[in-house]
Amino acid sequence: MEKKAFMCDMIRTELEDVVGVENVSTSQSERMTYGVDYFWIGRMWADRGQMPPMPDWIVRPGCTEEVSKILKIANYYKIPVNIWGGGSGSQGGALPMAGGIMMDMKRMNKLIEIDEESRTITAEAGMIFQQLEWYANERGYSCQHIPSCLTCGTIGGALGHRGIGIMSTKYGKIDDQCLSMEVVLPNGDVINTLPVPKHAAGPDLNQIFIGSEGTLGVITKATFKLFEQPENRQFRAFLFPDMHSGLMAGRDLMQKVKPSILRFYDETETVSIIKKILGFAKKGCLMNLAVEGIQRIVDIEMEIILEIVKKWGGEDLGSEYGEKWYENRITFFYPGHIMDIPQMFGTMDTVATFDNIEEIYWAMKHAIEDNFPGVRFIAHCSHWYEWGTMIYDRFIMDHPPEDPQEAIRLHNQIWNAGVRAAMAHGGVINDHHGVGLKLSRLMKEQYGPAMQVFEGLKKSLDPNGIMNPYKLGL
Amino acid sequence: MMFSEKAKKHADACRFCWMCRHLCPVQLATGKESNTPRAKGLQVSMIERGYAMDENLCENMYECMLCGACTNDCVTGFEPPIYIREARTQAVVNDLVPGHVQKVIDRIMDTGCLYADAACKVDLSGIPETGDTLLWLGETARCAVPETANALISLLKKANVSFAVLKNEPASGCALGDLMGYVEDVRQMAQQAAQAILASGAKQVIVLDSYDAAMMRHEYQDWGIELPQIITATAFVSSLIEEKKLSPKSAALTLSYHDGSRLARDLDEHQPARDILAAMGCEIKEMFQHKRLAKCCGSAVAAQYMPQIAQKVAKGRWEDAARTDAKILTAACPQSTLMLKDTAPQGYEYQDLFVLLNEHT
Repeated sequence: MEKKAFMCDMIRTELEDVVGVENVSTSQSERMTYGVDYFWIGRMWADRGQMPPMPDWIVRPGCTEEVSKILKIANYYKIPVNIWGGGSGSQGGALPMAGGIMMDMKRMNKLIEIDEESRTITAEAGMIFQQLEWYANERGYSCQHIPSCLTCGTIGGALGHRGIGIMSTKYGKIDDQCLSMEVVLPNGDVINTLPVPKHAAGPDLNQIFIGSEGTLGVITKATFKLFEQPENRQFRAFLFPDMHSGLMAGRDLMQKVKPSILRFYDETETVSIIKKILGFAKKGCLMNLAVEGIQRIVDIEMEIILEIVKKWGGEDLGSEYGEKWYENRITFFYPGHIMDIPQMFGTMDTVATFDNIEEIYWAMKHAIEDNFPGVRFIAHCSHWYEWGTMIYDRFIMDHPPEDPQEAIRLHNQIWNAGVRAAMAHGGVINDHHGVGLKLSRLMKEQYGPAMQVFEGLKKSLDPNGIMNPYKLGL
Repeated sequence: MMFSEKAKKHADACRFCWMCRHLCPVQLATGKESNTPRAKGLQVSMIERGYAMDENLCENMYECMLCGACTNDCVTGFEPPIYIREARTQAVVNDLVPGHVQKVIDRIMDTGCLYADAACKVDLSGIPETGDTLLWLGETARCAVPETANALISLLKKANVSFAVLKNEPASGCALGDLMGYVEDVRQMAQQAAQAILASGAKQVIVLDSYDAAMMRHEYQDWGIELPQIITATAFVSSLIEEKKLSPKSAALTLSYHDGSRLARDLDEHQPARDILAAMGCEIKEMFQHKRLAKCCGSAVAAQYMPQIAQKVAKGRWEDAARTDAKILTAACPQSTLMLKDTAPQGYEYQDLFVLLNEHT
């Protein structure tokens, strides 16, 4: 639409009619705050005094019906709709690059039900995940979705980009933990996925919308599993001589036991960040893990772990480093401990089967270190599956170009090189941060002809293309 | 704009950090992104990079309780209230204070009181104005919730404590400090309050309002303003019970206790109120967010210039209380009483701690 004369005000009053005057804003100072999420380019852009991308209208719905009405208005005027939860995504997935409406979901933060009989919890999607976890904790349970963005990401945000928490190896990713959802389609229709996620009633509707990053609709409610708090949690750290032995030990562990935490660091990360936070000073590759649940089972699991680690030449470092890591698990993400402007940095998490993972690690390391002078590469594997693991590869450049355009060019060249190296060796574009704006351009390379499935869905559900433009390659 | 180096450092650290937003009571009540510490940090950092401060931005800076939940959570010690207070100072300096806030500032500057009706409603008959122990009531207890002050006075009398109260107690400066930042006008107000305290001959000051107590303990000290010993009313009354000067009867109530944010975080005081409740045989059903993690219930200053948001914040705290088994909520600061007494959901009741103790002593 063309925003001529008083058309913006006409639309504003329509939006106000839905959510109330106090829940619509066109103030520049407020709109500016939606132009920076955790994506490095957005941060760098603001740091260099450039005006962040801004929506035209901020709208804060208080219920599903209001979300539906907003989408109907947006469709009529063909206005882009961006959805904002906590704004803590690292992929630029929530940034309003085409302007339009910014639907801030945080007013929809109500707990709907805790069903202790079925061990489920249901809440509105604008709730910060920590709040959901506290509600569960009040009754003696946990959702066991404990990401580093626990305190800042919303339920909708976690579902929107297929989030993961530090306990995922035992309790699963968000897509394993979600039972059902309420979703508002771009045309304003409200749908519910089936009440349970396991059935033979056709494809799983949940998995169409989980990870859709706001391109196919707006998630407004969700139900998750609840877990009893573990009776016992034991930590153990090990030092492996190299990547290969640690990865193989991890593979064998995953066949026999179910650790909640399993983190394995390459030597570069072991001697940098791990040393800084944990005071660990030895050379080699650190693994720290936790097993939890009923004490008797945990004791046996730990026995098996020690046998496997011994077989692969790991040195037992005891429980101290694991406990210390757990205590500091969020410290890593506070200013002063995590990479920050003026550094350039990025996390290229990829996931692959065990037969490919080591090759991917070296391919990505070479693709970055050999081609981009002054760029460091560190990595760890922090989420494991029976068939493989992910690599949380990070690149860090201490002195990126001053000029913002130059910095963006170099940033994207590094990302292209790293992600293409992963994809060329059997890795996928991303493990748990999502695609967003950052990787949108690489989705067709990842999927090839399979991309038409997503494109067909998009065309069918969002024929006007209003939902979160430029994201997810759609 | 002239933000201090300290404010700039804190704003630049917070602008790209999302870690504490789940604790902000105003963000939770309004759902506004601009009401997160990181958004306010981003706004201040953009001002420093050439963005023109405007009235809307200043309005955002006033949508904060300065409750310190964000600061308390920060592992690396950054403090959003530092740059938020300085932004308020800049709003005043640049004549950008929103009208509804300016009205409150003008009133305090004109009358020295936060409340339009500045008359003291507490019964001070027969209480001297000089003595070794001075009871400092604060303007909220004097003007808005006199029942709290009356109950505390009654308790002190029952314990045979010899104490004084200033009939014309000046403001401590805490309200103006929250509205303008710690500027010279506020320091002068603090100086006058300190002179009044010293003129009373007091060797110790029992302070009822935790906002006053925090101001006297911290900012007065930073300014080099000398004061006698400052004791919170809760700590003093708890000590009276411990010394058997007060012997409460059993109330045998099941209730939840709200830790006021300045008492719990700025003064790091959690136990005396719980000891008082224990002395009455009360069972405390703790809210999940309690002690230093307690969620703010609003403040007297905020209730003056943004009553609707302050009420939403108070209701948010009631929602926490309602998830415990207790049907009664209590608190020990007059500002908490102000916010919580009229916002109880159906089936729940608010009881001021001092009123409750006085009824059972």
